[in-house]
Amino acid sequence: MNRTAQFPEKNGRVALILLAVAAGMLALGFASVPLYRLFCQVTGFGGTTQRATLAESVTAEKLAQSAGGRTISVRFDGNVSAGMPWTFGPEQVTQTVAIGRRNMALFSAKNNSSVPVTGTASFNVEPEQAGPYFNKIQCFCFTEQTLQPGQAVDMPVIYYVDPKALDDPDMKGVEQITLSYTFHRKG
Amino acid sequence: MNLGEFARKRLGFASAALMAVALLATPQSGYAQATPRLDAQAENVAREDIPESQAAEPSTLDVAPGAGEVARLGPEWIKGQPALGGVNFQDQYSPNGEYALWMHNAILLPLITFICLLVLGLLLYVVVRFNRRRNTVPSRTAHNTVIEVVWTLVPVLVLVFIAIPSITLLARQYQAAPEDALTVKVTGYQWYWGYTYPDNGGFEVISNMLPPEQAIERGEPAILAVDNRLVVPAGEPIRIQTTGADVIHSFAIPSMWFKIDAVPGRLNERVLYIEEPGIYYGQCSELCGARHAYMPIAVEALPRPQFDAWVLAQGGTLGGPDLPTAPAPRQEPESSVSGAPGAGVPEPLEDPAAGPNSPTAPAPLSPPGVTAGPTA
Amino acid sequence: MATTADHFQAHADEHHHDADHKPGFFARWFMSTNHKDIGTLYLIFAIFAGVIGGAISGVMRAELADPGIQVLTPLVGWLYNETDLDQALHMWNVLITAHGLIMVFFMVMPAMIGGFGNWFIPLMIGAPDMAFPRMNNVSFWLTFVAFISLLLSSFVPGGTGLGAGTGWTVYAPLSTSGSVGPAVDFAIFSLHLAGAGSILGAINFITTILNMRAPGMTLHKMPLFVWSVLVTAFLLLLALPVLAAAITMLLTDRNFGTTFFDPAGGGDPVLYQHLFWFFGHPEVYIMILPGFGMISQIIATFSRKPVFGYLGMAYAMVAIGVVGFVVWAHHMYVVGLNVNTKMYFTAATMVIAVPTGIKIFSWIATMWGGSLEFKSPMVWALGFIFLFTVGGVTGVVLANGGIDDYMHDTYYVVAHFHYVLSLGAVFALFAGFYYWFPKMSGRMHSEMLAHIHFWIFFVGVNMIFFPMHFLGMDGMPRRIPDYPAAYAYWNQFATVGYWIMAGSMLVFFANMLYAFTAGKKAAPNYWGEGATTLEWTLTSPPPYHQFETLPVIDDVDHDHGGTVAPA
Repeated sequence: MNRTAQFPEKNGRVALILLAVAAGMLALGFASVPLYRLFCQVTGFGGTTQRATLAESVTAEKLAQSAGGRTISVRFDGNVSAGMPWTFGPEQVTQTVAIGRRNMALFSAKNNSSVPVTGTASFNVEPEQAGPYFNKIQCFCFTEQTLQPGQAVDMPVIYYVDPKALDDPDMKGVEQITLSYTFHRKG
Repeated sequence: MNLGEFARKRLGFASAALMAVALLATPQSGYAQATPRLDAQAENVAREDIPESQAAEPSTLDVAPGAGEVARLGPEWIKGQPALGGVNFQDQYSPNGEYALWMHNAILLPLITFICLLVLGLLLYVVVRFNRRRNTVPSRTAHNTVIEVVWTLVPVLVLVFIAIPSITLLARQYQAAPEDALTVKVTGYQWYWGYTYPDNGGFEVISNMLPPEQAIERGEPAILAVDNRLVVPAGEPIRIQTTGADVIHSFAIPSMWFKIDAVPGRLNERVLYIEEPGIYYGQCSELCGARHAYMPIAVEALPRPQFDAWVLAQGGTLGGPDLPTAPAPRQEPESSVSGAPGAGVPEPLEDPAAGPNSPTAPAPLSPPGVTAGPTA
Repeated sequence: MATTADHFQAHADEHHHDADHKPGFFARWFMSTNHKDIGTLYLIFAIFAGVIGGAISGVMRAELADPGIQVLTPLVGWLYNETDLDQALHMWNVLITAHGLIMVFFMVMPAMIGGFGNWFIPLMIGAPDMAFPRMNNVSFWLTFVAFISLLLSSFVPGGTGLGAGTGWTVYAPLSTSGSVGPAVDFAIFSLHLAGAGSILGAINFITTILNMRAPGMTLHKMPLFVWSVLVTAFLLLLALPVLAAAITMLLTDRNFGTTFFDPAGGGDPVLYQHLFWFFGHPEVYIMILPGFGMISQIIATFSRKPVFGYLGMAYAMVAIGVVGFVVWAHHMYVVGLNVNTKMYFTAATMVIAVPTGIKIFSWIATMWGGSLEFKSPMVWALGFIFLFTVGGVTGVVLANGGIDDYMHDTYYVVAHFHYVLSLGAVFALFAGFYYWFPKMSGRMHSEMLAHIHFWIFFVGVNMIFFPMHFLGMDGMPRRIPDYPAAYAYWNQFATVGYWIMAGSMLVFFANMLYAFTAGKKAAPNYWGEGATTLEWTLTSPPPYHQFETLPVIDDVDHDHGGTVAPA
């Protein structure tokens, strides 16, 4: 009577394949979170900064010296998100640094509340194309920070600008890189 | 309305747009008349000028609230605002805006008008020529390779033609700011804007919408007027950095062809260049909750000397960004005052010295070696 | 072997008793497994949802008629017994959210795919029903419950006031930390259900089209409407799971403390936008592609000509579908993308103009040399071609990332997407409706009323949406209930247009009333010799079960896809 009865197996197979495709896309949707993070970390997309070891920075510095010591200005910016009872900001507005040279900048943070507060920092650099060349060797943003009530601390970040930036046409005309942090309350 | 009327309407729209280009060519005429008033204001400001040496000393910066009014331009300076019943772009006051407007009016608009008229013309032709009364026997033609290739390739060429100015415009919009450009950090809050001047002591100006009656009293457009404007110098590049404090907002100034989202947890940056002093309005352009309609942006562009005077009157400092500063404490929401239909009553200026003088701020530390990094 | 319409007719009559054996009322409409009945359910549902979505836009237009807040305050007073201004402003956001979601998920998609797709895909390919009739029923009821969930969301807290006020895009963090209360959860749940229903529907359509075509109906002989639904179903299958993943993560961010889109835990709100628009851009093609298919059938029918460049038309839709997946970030030009990303998305977006141009020109070429008859479906189709062109060219303007720094989130964008959707998709829907209504109901509608409906609707919607270009160019942001006085003129004009449009809908319903009470009985092929696809070989309405003996498609290539050979 019903012609569909002639095809159940064939139809079922096609449907299963399609269901698998849909499930695959669903999985890809969830996987996009770690993949996007990885993509940003690798390519510096969205102004994501790089992590470097001390050894890498030594190489970079040597490379920079041979390329002639150009300098670049670095600006620092600090924010706290809504509901974060901290005062947080850079202790220097800008620094002029030799490209390839390790440098330290300080941020100050103070817990204004009466309870211990743990925070994590999100960060990016602008202009975005500086992301792959902005290397941090040590940063308060690598780990969570806990401040006791009323406690104020200085938080250092040790960074350098990769001399490869000089070879990137997208970095032409970039005279200043802004490193921005936003502290968020954890939990 | 029939198709013909519709076409005429589009033509009117096109010609109006072309007229705007002509108008743009003579933007100086209005400005020339206004100049004397500006000079007079400059004198006023000069009397209140604070010596440079004092300016650098944070403890002397306790200026009375309302001092910001010294530089407030009157409504005769309004330049960037929507036109009543306008059918056109707002006049542009930045080089990129002028280029973009040119690209739209000289390339895109004629092109899309032509395409619409072409399609309309073809439709009308087939309707008249191939209706059943005139053409009783239909042809069976269903292929013509030549014409199919043509209408694939011609659009490709047209698009390549558009791409050239389009890419140029993008490249111009992304030119990086020079190192010494004034930096203003724009923070979007629910539902007002905060403008921080990190190079000038780090004070933050909180900008709320004026209630409509007050705006009209001041001769400014309701919904667009604010209590404290974003004050910037004219005729120089400004590094605008945006971030969101709670949800995503978008900082937009149509007369500058400028729009950039303020996203929480990250900083965005674009260069703003305002050619001449004036007042330029915009509105938050990303849905951010209930009072999204009520967080306008008003930019007041001043000549450099007046801008400097304004900065000093706010308790800020001059002389570049390399001075040690402490962070300003986070502003609590200012707009929770329930008053219809705005984001709140106009607030007196935030204590302008809140940043540098804040008792909660740690004592300034000696800046770490500016060029000499640790070698460990 | 050639078959004829008469042959099918005779065949259908022969088996009349078997073929028309219908189950009782409840079983027929609530447990339906018949593709035509489910199609009818979808169409009724879409009309119902369209009336609600349209009424919401009426409230919006009334509010926007003048600067200030006029309508929202009494509305929240009446609905929720609230007097607070913030509640009224929040109500606005609830209205725009509901309008967007209803029109996209509960009006256009159910009508195009669920309604016309269900009705005519099996008929056009010579299949007795869909591949999975029971799953088809599940799809419909999922959509129905989804709609109920969305309506319920308006009556539970959603932050500042009752209801979900996030916009149809549900951007984080406004939809997470920015909207406390269960309303947004209800809205997200609604999207989940509607999405699940559509994915099941997509699987059903693809299986049906790939497996159940009548002998001789090769892929390259399928009518273009079948092609369009096939491409649409693939878009649904690939895009909707990504939305499902994104909104599931929103849900867990909201309720279970995850931080997928929250920078506090290393998430990124911009990623949500990437995911949403990876779904959202194909979604706009999901809404318009079946319309393309219907317009192709209608133009060919009333020109009495085969579709010009059949293969080009079919593969242009495939190309639009493919390219539609790699252009999503043009919705995010001002979010803070770097220059290279923006240049790529500008270029990729403009590429879509090429296959779209092929379609427009091919429709005109189909009419060229034809013998055009201006029955109501044809008039709506002609309106579609012109208005879709207007909406399409403003898309080329908006594709330019640099131009978008002005246009983004202004009324220019609102004008653009309403020209391609409200005037494009909806004109296609009405064209399809008048084309197939007598086939579905067995009753002829009034051609005169259908023409009157067209002209009033045409004037009305153009008055609503054309001035929105002006408002956008003058800088008016979208999604605001109150605006500077400068924008009052064109807003008022648009509101007048709304009432004209609403008036035309009365004509539409009057026409339906006429058809069901006094409409003439429809012949099997009431449009005459131009209508050549398989559904015209059956009675109007078709028998409850059709094609129990397979129709065999003539193997001579007629260039216009799957026709039965003329006698």
